[in-house]
Amino acid sequence: MGLRWFHYVLWGGLISGMFLLPQVVSNGTLRTMIFANYLAIFAISWDVLSGRTGYVSFGHPFLIGIGAYTTAILTKRFDVPVEISIPVAVVVTMIAGLLVLLPALRIRGSYFALVTLAFMELLYQLVQVIRPDLTGGTRGMSGIQTLTRGAANGYYLSTALMLSVAVSMWLLMKTRIGTALAAIGMNEESVRGSGLSTTRLKAFAFLTSALIAGLGGAFYVHYLGSLAPRALFDINFLFTIIVAALLGGTSTIIGPMIGAFFMTFLLEYLRPVLPGAERYFVYGAIALLLYMYQPKGLVELAQRGFQRLRKGGLA
Amino acid sequence: MIKTALLSGTCIALMASAAGAEIKVGFIGSLSSDTGLSTLRGAEIAVEELNANGGVMGEQITLVSADTGQDPTEGIRAYEYLAETEEVDFIISGSIDDVSLGWLPRMQEYRIPTLDTWTSYIGIIDMVVEDPDSMAPYFMNIASDEALATLYINFGADVLKEKMGWDSVVILAEDTAFGEAITGLVTEALAPVAGIEVKEIITYDVATVDFAPIFSRAQDTGADFIYQVSSVNSQVVSSQYVKLQVPMAMTGVNVAALGMEYWEDTGGAGGGISTLSPVPSVGFRLDPASQEFVDTYQAKYDSRPLLPHFNGFNAYHGLKQAMAAAEEAGGFDNVEGWAEAMKKQDLVLELDGQLWLRYAFWGDDEVEPVTGRTYPHNIRFDLSEPFDDAAPSMVVVQWYEDGTAAVVYPEKYATGEFTLPSWVKQ
Repeated sequence: MGLRWFHYVLWGGLISGMFLLPQVVSNGTLRTMIFANYLAIFAISWDVLSGRTGYVSFGHPFLIGIGAYTTAILTKRFDVPVEISIPVAVVVTMIAGLLVLLPALRIRGSYFALVTLAFMELLYQLVQVIRPDLTGGTRGMSGIQTLTRGAANGYYLSTALMLSVAVSMWLLMKTRIGTALAAIGMNEESVRGSGLSTTRLKAFAFLTSALIAGLGGAFYVHYLGSLAPRALFDINFLFTIIVAALLGGTSTIIGPMIGAFFMTFLLEYLRPVLPGAERYFVYGAIALLLYMYQPKGLVELAQRGFQRLRKGGLA
Repeated sequence: MIKTALLSGTCIALMASAAGAEIKVGFIGSLSSDTGLSTLRGAEIAVEELNANGGVMGEQITLVSADTGQDPTEGIRAYEYLAETEEVDFIISGSIDDVSLGWLPRMQEYRIPTLDTWTSYIGIIDMVVEDPDSMAPYFMNIASDEALATLYINFGADVLKEKMGWDSVVILAEDTAFGEAITGLVTEALAPVAGIEVKEIITYDVATVDFAPIFSRAQDTGADFIYQVSSVNSQVVSSQYVKLQVPMAMTGVNVAALGMEYWEDTGGAGGGISTLSPVPSVGFRLDPASQEFVDTYQAKYDSRPLLPHFNGFNAYHGLKQAMAAAEEAGGFDNVEGWAEAMKKQDLVLELDGQLWLRYAFWGDDEVEPVTGRTYPHNIRFDLSEPFDDAAPSMVVVQWYEDGTAAVVYPEKYATGEFTLPSWVKQ
């Protein structure tokens, strides 16, 4: 896998730093970081599928929603313990991920994006009309069991989850499978020509992406304690996930993490200055400018800065 | 020399500490909607008046706001911001139903006394019934939607059935949580109580811009009138009803028609429509205390909403009651003590020597005689004439074709007559 000593140092530093953070920052900041952690999980999940293979999914809230609704219904309506409901939610989401795979066997590009968008809209409509006694209908569900109380506990849980996902995906992408997935994004025909089964590789990417989305969605809903279809199957939620991945840098693991933290904190720090809808305008404008200036994302900016420092140091 | 410096330092620290002592109120709601702004401004005026009179428990009150953008997840983040970053003592909410449902688990966790002035979802009162301990910090000073619908059924029986002679209705409802709830409540009771048959329920998307096919389908049902349930895109359906001169009467719930800007928003094409409204509404005669609030409001703000919606009144009176309860309980930290003191708050506002509005709460075990159930932590309302125990849960407001509005039901509060649009034949 080509692991080097500095990989261990960097990951170790990041993990230690994040777990020491509650000692130095306020609870308000921790709450913001919890949302950033979940957004990072969703952005990594999107990137595994779309950033790597080039199959741009507009239906990611569909997968997150399946995970969230499954565990919410099981725990609230049937008193199933979360130790069981969360794994079940992940499995159900992976099955749903195979549904998303089906159109990808025949189409790609903007057509694939539109079909996946339809999945999200379909689920949005379905949860409101089919068994609203279970789903809570248009109002959603409140009083869903939460796994933690207090900012620090919620932070530790979400950080552990996010870092587990990030490290696992980073290791996976260092393998030959990761290389093959990235190759699909560059030229699917060539991958097929080299004798690899692109269908199997795509199925693997879709299932992995669904696994992360389901896991993230399930833990997310047990953090929120409530679930509203209007917020979950929302185009703004979808764009936030995609923009976090794009802004941070696609086809990387650290990129979606940086993008998620940058966007969440930017929006939250604008709140005291611009309490109304104006902050969304400023936030959108900053994101747009950054993306126009550096389409490869903040990761690329950081790498260039690091290289300049090294050159400066050597000179 | 050292002693003097230490003494001065201590004095400065104490003064700084005293100056920093304050009661912090957080507003949670949409800063871009008329209803959200009504709550915020009502709270602002109440805070200014309380501060001018020396504050609460000798401390000045400050108000900070957190925008929800009417999004449930943003609502959770806004509540967390108020609780963890601003560390507020009390929260006043101008949130819609699913946004309140979103932040309720946070309220249960932080146990910050919270007053909802806009959400009317009966499910939240049910949560107070089922889990009184964790819901102790929560109060709702608008009549719950079940109470609104119950009195509306009386309007159906007294006016739509008896006076107008209508036997059937077609419901046009926006595809929203609010639309679903009101439609359910109305359909369950309209037929058995008022004797009005529901011919069909037509649900439409909130982004609908062409209502001609929907009105055409409504006419095809052969119903006597349309019952409209609209809370998001109310101006469009109203103005198209007028412009198309749909030959059926249309009443129901039209949230846009609850504000004075309705006439302007519909381009003057909003006449002939009536809507259920919580109190006080447009066209509502105001008691002297509420009128004084409106005068202050209009002198202070020159942007919409020019007249506060009902929740602006609720915020104004409710915030003062919450502060009075805090004074009695010795602050907001003892949530149970504050909640007990809040339950004792009772503001009776009279007009012409009779009870007109009342800001009080139902007792925990007190059964409302018409519905036969309890409404703990919900504002006290009255569902039957002569409304001598509290204000009615709702009134019916009629917009006329000359741009004026009046209350047409119940009779005690009526300032005008229920009429049909000029193009509709009886």
